[in-house]
Amino acid sequence: MSFLKKIQEKFSGGREELKVPAEMKKEVPLIKTPVRAPAAQATPPKSGALDRVKHLIAVGSGKGGVGKSTVALNLAMSLAVEGHKVGIVDADIHGPSLQQMTNAQKPTMNEDELMEPPEYEGVKLMSVAMFSPPGQAQLMRGPMVTQVIRQFLTQVNWGELDYLIIDLPPGTGDIHLTLAQMVPLTGAILVTTPQEVSLLDVRKAVHMFQTVNVPILGVVENMSYFVCDSCDKKHFIFQQGGGKKLAAECGAPLLAELPIDPRVAESGDAGRAFVVSNPSSIVGQAYLDMAKKMQVQQHALQRSSDGALGYFLLEWKQNV
Amino acid sequence: MSDQPRVKRIWQQDERTLGINWTDGRKSLYDVVELRRQCRCAHCVDEISKKRTLNPDDVPESIRPIKIESVGRYALTIQFTDGHRTGIYAFEKLRDIG
Repeated sequence: MSFLKKIQEKFSGGREELKVPAEMKKEVPLIKTPVRAPAAQATPPKSGALDRVKHLIAVGSGKGGVGKSTVALNLAMSLAVEGHKVGIVDADIHGPSLQQMTNAQKPTMNEDELMEPPEYEGVKLMSVAMFSPPGQAQLMRGPMVTQVIRQFLTQVNWGELDYLIIDLPPGTGDIHLTLAQMVPLTGAILVTTPQEVSLLDVRKAVHMFQTVNVPILGVVENMSYFVCDSCDKKHFIFQQGGGKKLAAECGAPLLAELPIDPRVAESGDAGRAFVVSNPSSIVGQAYLDMAKKMQVQQHALQRSSDGALGYFLLEWKQNV
Repeated sequence: MSDQPRVKRIWQQDERTLGINWTDGRKSLYDVVELRRQCRCAHCVDEISKKRTLNPDDVPESIRPIKIESVGRYALTIQFTDGHRTGIYAFEKLRDIG
């Protein structure tokens, strides 16, 4: 039985499940999952589920609450609007939000034992929230979480995609390292809010991506300012200029400065991507522009990569 | 935009030599036995003190890789004939020693 099937069964158990922490339950040997050494995590997708995915783009921050998921979803939708085939995977196992933001249904299982991801406006989605009732926490340690991420990448029928957007959790931990080791990410987008305290965390994410040689495709400053409905003045609620500063520091372009628009949160809560429901608004236009600028950067990177191998495997011949 | 040099071509030069062509045009050759001795994984180097716990003399001259595989876009990992497979060799480090 596939691992995800097991957690699917576990999650479908309902509220009683909450009484006993998952790791203490006998019938689901979650923590008995072998704790693998880092090298083992480097094993690439065996199922070939990602074979036809051209670009994997991570949306991260290091910091929580800056709007990573909103940016990731609207990036995915903006790319789809341009005609690209797009998928998005919610890698935030402990705080998934993609399902709420799209009203996505549960995936189904196909004959090849691969999960068929649900779609929102033609974009394929996968989130751990699809498997559990709202309010139920994922009581999982690192190795378990890592397994779920692996399943999301290898046991899901992503099919042919131009872009698979990965909505990262905050921090610089297991999930980030697993992804950076398991797949050759095309690049990462950093989301920050303008103030210095936010940059503190985001700089750690910059360092992480540099360490694992994942190019930073750009910086998105969210919650940049607010324009109230009775005056035209921009109110810089969370200070000013953080995104620009970070972009300069990491040598990447500033892809967007997104103003606070209460309708963005309203959209998210209602299960709609803002760029789909309000494409001509200031924020909607900024999202579309952000996706364009990201592609410019990604193409420039592609040209400069000088034929670098993505995944490689060399079998050593003995007794040559 | 920072992109470190990456592997352009990787091959087995001879019985115990690994060859790598890098994207910046450099060519490096590595003795695979020496790579095993240089392993930086937590079994071979103490994580706190960073001191090597692996005695290089314990690595036999006969050791060879079984397979060499990429790790993301920053490193490679080698599975050796002694069963050791936890070492991650960052490209940056490989360029320092090759």
